[in-house]
Amino acid sequence: MADSQSVAAPPSADERQLVEALRAGDEAAFTQLVRLYGAAMLRVAQHYVSSRAVAEEVVQEAWLGVLHGLERFEGRSSLKTWIFRILTNTAISRGEREGRTVPFSALGTGHEEEFEPAVDQSRFTTEERWSGHWSSPPVGWSAPEGRLLAAELRDVVDRAIAQLPHAQAVVIAMRDVEGFGPGEVCNVLEISESNQRVLLHRARSRVRRALEEYLKERANG
Amino acid sequence: MIAYKFLGEGKVAPFSGVTWPDQGEWLEVETVDPCRVGVHACRIAQLPYWLRPELWEVELDGEVVEGELMVVAPRGRLVRRVEAWNRDTEREFGEACAAEARKRVERSPELELFAVDVEQTAASATAFAAFATARLAELQDGPPGYDAERLRQARWLAGALAL
Amino acid sequence: MKLSRDLTCAEVVELVTEYLEGGLSSHDRERFEEHLGFCDWCVTYLEQMRQTIETTGRLREEDIDPELQDALIEAFRGWRSG
Repeated sequence: MADSQSVAAPPSADERQLVEALRAGDEAAFTQLVRLYGAAMLRVAQHYVSSRAVAEEVVQEAWLGVLHGLERFEGRSSLKTWIFRILTNTAISRGEREGRTVPFSALGTGHEEEFEPAVDQSRFTTEERWSGHWSSPPVGWSAPEGRLLAAELRDVVDRAIAQLPHAQAVVIAMRDVEGFGPGEVCNVLEISESNQRVLLHRARSRVRRALEEYLKERANG
Repeated sequence: MIAYKFLGEGKVAPFSGVTWPDQGEWLEVETVDPCRVGVHACRIAQLPYWLRPELWEVELDGEVVEGELMVVAPRGRLVRRVEAWNRDTEREFGEACAAEARKRVERSPELELFAVDVEQTAASATAFAAFATARLAELQDGPPGYDAERLRQARWLAGALAL
Repeated sequence: MKLSRDLTCAEVVELVTEYLEGGLSSHDRERFEEHLGFCDWCVTYLEQMRQTIETTGRLREEDIDPELQDALIEAFRGWRSG
């Protein structure tokens, strides 16, 4: 599989219209964009900085960056990925000013060479006949009964993501919380497809583990 | 073309979790889920690989691609439920595998633990018991042994289910 | 060679993400599904992964905070007149 950065989709006709309207100072167009992306931008920003209040400032700063950068926007990428790239760059700068070490390089290089198993290796047998098969297999999770458990599980996932290494948190937030496609994530974060996949795999594996542990404790109650 | 499909209880596809529509209604799989590439089904020879609670005869439409262990088509619909496949037949199938495994370890006593594995899973994890029997055959007779055992299993099923 | 093509459960759990992304070659996808054909435990694991993804998706709830939206529109007006 080619390890190249994903090609970004160019803006759709709707997006081009929005850009034109923005350049013309159309407040309705701006409001539409803010309602479309604002909440997601705030959630993503919170993975880079120390508090929600700071994340709100980052979002405001990012939107100003979008407006001031409109003249330069050539449409080589979609409007959405362009906006979110401005957001993440703004968040990184702010994070660095806060003294949170969020080196951009951490997103694309570094720890992918080290093997981080999806499941603790002790859960597979080394007995020769079935080496590598489950010795401590997963137990099926029944569908969450009631809204209370559903809310608890969301909290478990939320906490688990907050504890992920930064790069994994950002990728799973964009892919699985915000619903970005793989190409969009690669374009915004400027990482390769294979990097993105490794980070997503590790993040999802950790979150699954967190749910498994929580449900097991809850069953043993 | 006519083929076969094992489903979970309630006509649920085992890997995608998709529920098949009622008999006669076509299911078209679009690539909304990237790991799905059309409707999967199997030929009689491939039945032992895919055991699940329900067995259905399916009709496939469009260009059918033959894989090693399955066939894939753009559309499919359930034609009839193979009622003869139920928990009892599954248990009997498992017992037949256990008998085969016991017979085989008579000439290869060093592989006895495999026969134990098959016996222990024959009722509770029949698909695994079938696999373990085929693996035992492979250790005895090489890859042709694996194929031969899977063929025996398929013939057993075809006979018991009148396919 | 059957022996060399079989996936173990430990290998399957490392391939789950690629499988769900549609990134496995058709050959590897068949091997992956073949394993699931006889291994209920890995089927359970795959199902858990799907449930994890679904639960994560439910974190995306709220619309933008109205105060933040107002602040952004103020900023827009400032930019427009500036």
